Amino acid sequence: MAGFEISRRKVLAGSAFLLASTALPSIGWSQARKGGRLVVAADSEPRNLNPAIVASNGVFFVSSKVVEPLAEASFDGEDGLEPRLATSWEGSADGLSVTFKLREGVTWHDGQPFSSADVAFSALNVWKPLQNLGRVVFKNLEAVETPDAKTAVFKFSKPTPLQLIKNALPALTSVVPKHVYDGKDIAENPANNAPIGTGPFKFAEHKAGEYYRLERYDKYWGEGEPQLDEIIYRVLPDRAAAAGALEAEEIQLAAFSAVPLADLERISKVPGIKVITEGYEALTYQLVVEINHRRKELADLKVRQAIAHAIDKDFVVKTIFLGYAKPATGIVPQNDKQFYTPDVATYGFDVAKANALLDEAGYPKKDDGKRFALKLLPAPYFNETRQFGDYLRQALAAVGIDAEIVNNDSAAHQKAVYTEHAFDIAIAPPVFRGDPAISTTILVQSGIPDGVPFSNQGGYKNDELDALIAKAAETLDPAARIELYKQFQKKVAADLPLINVAEWGFITVARDTVKNVSNNPRWAVSNWADTYVET
Amino acid sequence: MSLSRLFRTPEAAAGLVILGLLVAMAVAAPWLFPRDPLAIAGQPLLPPFQDWALPLGTDRLGRDVVAGLFHGARTSLAVGLAAAAASILVGSIVGTVAGFAGGLVDEVLMRITDAFQTVPGFLLSLALVSVVGPSLSVVVAAIALSAWTGPTRIARAEVLSIRERDYVASARVIGMHPVEIAFREVLPNALPPVLALSSVIVAAAILTEAALSFLGLGDPNRVTWGGMIAEGRAVLRSAPYLSVIPGIALVLSVLGVYLAGEGVVEGTAAREGQA
Amino acid sequence: MNRAWGLLKRRLIGSIPVLLIVVVGSFLLLEAAPGDAVDAYVASVGGDAGMIEALRTSWGLDASPMTRLAAYLWALLHLDLGHSVAFSRPVLDVVLERLPNTLLLMGAATALSFALGTTLGILAGARPGSARDRLLSIGSLALYAVPGFWLALVLTIVFSVELRWLPLSGMETIASGKTGIARMLDIARHMVLPVTSLGLIYLALYLRMMRAGMAEVWRMDFTLAARARGIPRRRIVLAHVARNALLPLVTMLSLQSAQMLGGSVVIESVFSVPGLGRLAQEAVGSRDTPLLIGIILVSAFLVIVINLLVDIAYAVLDPRVGASEVKA
Repeated sequence: MAGFEISRRKVLAGSAFLLASTALPSIGWSQARKGGRLVVAADSEPRNLNPAIVASNGVFFVSSKVVEPLAEASFDGEDGLEPRLATSWEGSADGLSVTFKLREGVTWHDGQPFSSADVAFSALNVWKPLQNLGRVVFKNLEAVETPDAKTAVFKFSKPTPLQLIKNALPALTSVVPKHVYDGKDIAENPANNAPIGTGPFKFAEHKAGEYYRLERYDKYWGEGEPQLDEIIYRVLPDRAAAAGALEAEEIQLAAFSAVPLADLERISKVPGIKVITEGYEALTYQLVVEINHRRKELADLKVRQAIAHAIDKDFVVKTIFLGYAKPATGIVPQNDKQFYTPDVATYGFDVAKANALLDEAGYPKKDDGKRFALKLLPAPYFNETRQFGDYLRQALAAVGIDAEIVNNDSAAHQKAVYTEHAFDIAIAPPVFRGDPAISTTILVQSGIPDGVPFSNQGGYKNDELDALIAKAAETLDPAARIELYKQFQKKVAADLPLINVAEWGFITVARDTVKNVSNNPRWAVSNWADTYVET
Repeated sequence: MSLSRLFRTPEAAAGLVILGLLVAMAVAAPWLFPRDPLAIAGQPLLPPFQDWALPLGTDRLGRDVVAGLFHGARTSLAVGLAAAAASILVGSIVGTVAGFAGGLVDEVLMRITDAFQTVPGFLLSLALVSVVGPSLSVVVAAIALSAWTGPTRIARAEVLSIRERDYVASARVIGMHPVEIAFREVLPNALPPVLALSSVIVAAAILTEAALSFLGLGDPNRVTWGGMIAEGRAVLRSAPYLSVIPGIALVLSVLGVYLAGEGVVEGTAAREGQA
Repeated sequence: MNRAWGLLKRRLIGSIPVLLIVVVGSFLLLEAAPGDAVDAYVASVGGDAGMIEALRTSWGLDASPMTRLAAYLWALLHLDLGHSVAFSRPVLDVVLERLPNTLLLMGAATALSFALGTTLGILAGARPGSARDRLLSIGSLALYAVPGFWLALVLTIVFSVELRWLPLSGMETIASGKTGIARMLDIARHMVLPVTSLGLIYLALYLRMMRAGMAEVWRMDFTLAARARGIPRRRIVLAHVARNALLPLVTMLSLQSAQMLGGSVVIESVFSVPGLGRLAQEAVGSRDTPLLIGIILVSAFLVIVINLLVDIAYAVLDPRVGASEVKA
């Protein structure tokens, strides 16, 4: 069946030109048309484009088309995964090894064959020592055995749950070529800025301040893929620019809410433009109030509860996110199918209760109506984090807490909050990446060194929570592990080391000629092999 | 100087009227709108002229646009005046010292002035605010940092011409301390042409604050017109009033300050011409 | 020409103390900033303490500020602008790549505001106090009072999004493969809106200076004499009044050049023009000290060259000034 379809595609490919010029109605098989140039908006130019070192969405947005992971997230695949460079994975009963079978017929963009040696090299020399997330998940990875060119066996020094490894595959396992990196300084390798991978697109050029250009890789392993000839990332630093560029047809797609939420209602009515909310299910961002527990007022649970009661989450969702978000109940987002539990303490919007709690805690209103003052540092990364800062200042004023906003740029924010702890409350947008152990438990775990962004830098320490986190990290049975994380969620909600306010996915706005958009839960950062532009 | 002289031209009169209105708005703001203008007052994105409690509507968070406009007048005026005062103060002191002392002191001070004039002023303000963090006083300092060179040069030129005059010479003869001569005899006489610059500096300061806010470098705890315009820009197409209303206020104020300043200078010049 | 070259050299050597102040000042400013280049990088990519340490060592940020300043100055002495940490490329390469774009934008905008400003200034100053004069003066002032970014946004909505006459952003059509004249025309089309936005802001300056200058010249004896001799007003305006009022504007050109570079930050950001202004903003954001100083030095050099060109132009227009300046 598949074979038949492919040969038909090939036949049709030759006549694609003809098809394109005669305006045929768009029926099933017209999908076989190849080619086209997709121009998308990019708002930043990462210094390092190597996704094996920098596992962040800004990097993936460009490089995931060039460098592939072992598996990608999927709406309907088994375990929510779809094979990429690995075709199967199996864990041993003792949790000390995981065996990956690798795909046949894969080549690097420079023509070299892909083999298990590349996987072993990437895992041991890049993911484990250098990658921001891999340092946590692969910390017990001891060796990778390569019995043959298409088998890689990961050996761990301590039991490591297969569930965690599976959940980590899409974001943490981008494979880079050993022959390009071996024996050289990995962190400063020129391939970090012009990546070489196995993906459907080759990195063609980067003109700083203007664009990135990716070209179709003709020898890609996916049959009939990629469909596009070219992807261009147009650098538009001004956040208001993407909407106009879409309307003027200078770009065809803007992901990651590059079109401001406030403009979506208007632009959705422009003919030829569609607003898409799917495709970010595995990239849930969380709006979090970080708390510095070194402040004596904030070390008091009653004060933290009062702050939680002072925040009207529905207002935040409705006004700041214009409905494109959900109020959060706890530290794991609701759209996570494996770990989420709604069965936690909740804090409804209740100004009177907040005031009562603050009175009880021993911070009565003074003559000027204020109880105490706080320094509030909203993260500068998103419009929404800053706007929530404006809102939170007002919400706190309503309960007599005088918050002064300090707006910093990202370098100063990083330094102030995560290194020097010079904040009282901060607003952060951490990402939930499919498993609490990847980037969520570090938000509350103690003993994290200074300087790590999106981690517990508020001086919070709870031995019970730390023990739970440590236990879950080594629990092999998936059901037992999930149960531990449910307890974890309850404890966090009860003790409020931080306050989860809302969770959101981004919005994609595209011309309706762009097809196969948002067809997996990490679409914006997946490989776009089947995407095409209808002409 | 009589008022009729200030109202010599319709432009100057219009400028003074606008300036008067601006001052009135700034003074009346806390009295008419005692609440924090950043407080959420109603339903978000309410268009103007729908609700008489909120005559000009509300912004994305539901904050009252009129309250913002009045309090914004206060901040814009404060930024403008403070920046102008700071740069004129620094400029006239540095200029007087340089011009009066001469020699090496003059050389060093003027080299520093040169250095500041070689660097694009806005770039300097931008760097300072992003480095120190945006607050109203930092914004004022940043604007003054790029604006003090003009007053310095003019003050120095004036001082150079004044210091050779008879009354300065006689002050020297009676044994006045040079510092006293510089600041009591020379500076007051050098000041008028420097002060003539103030309207230009105030106008430029208001615009610079707006541009900084546009780049996300405004004080988040205060309402400024620049900040309002910058926030309204995301909804420029669907709710243009949010950037148009403060935009008009900004344009009128800059125009008013400029025209009034020009009127005063021309009025003074005319008086001197008659004298 | 030789004389001009000699003058340039003398000016450059004379400006060494100024440039030194600029370099040390900018270095200290960024040094005082909370967060360094590694913090800026980590904020965008995440990472842990070990990685932060390693990066700081590998980017040479672990030495004391004074050691680094000394090393930087030593390199500068050998005309080496250093290495940009944000781009991991030599600063000079990065700056030179962007310089032509900024020069084009600033040059065209200056030409526009100067040409249009003086012409309208002559029209206004020909009959001081007339309705035309008032309209032009107030109109140009209103343009000056409009925040640059706002003017730019409105122009893009009207001409790029609604009418679709002109491209919205960028320097040229991306990867179009155009060369020669076709490419030049393409770039010109892309530059229309940014140049107009930047040029219109500074229009008022030249218009008002021209007008004020003319008002002065009208009162001078030779103009009065010319009027008394019955020379047609039109000829007086062009041959006497405007010509004499033009000189101070040339001086203004040089003073304005540094300011326009600042103004272009915002315009470059709105139109996604990869120029020096935006680069400077990025350099501040990523705490890229060598890059920021490099940009400031290059722009300072530019200002010095422009001043020199203006002086030469002045010498041509008014031989008395030129002679004394070149001799001095």
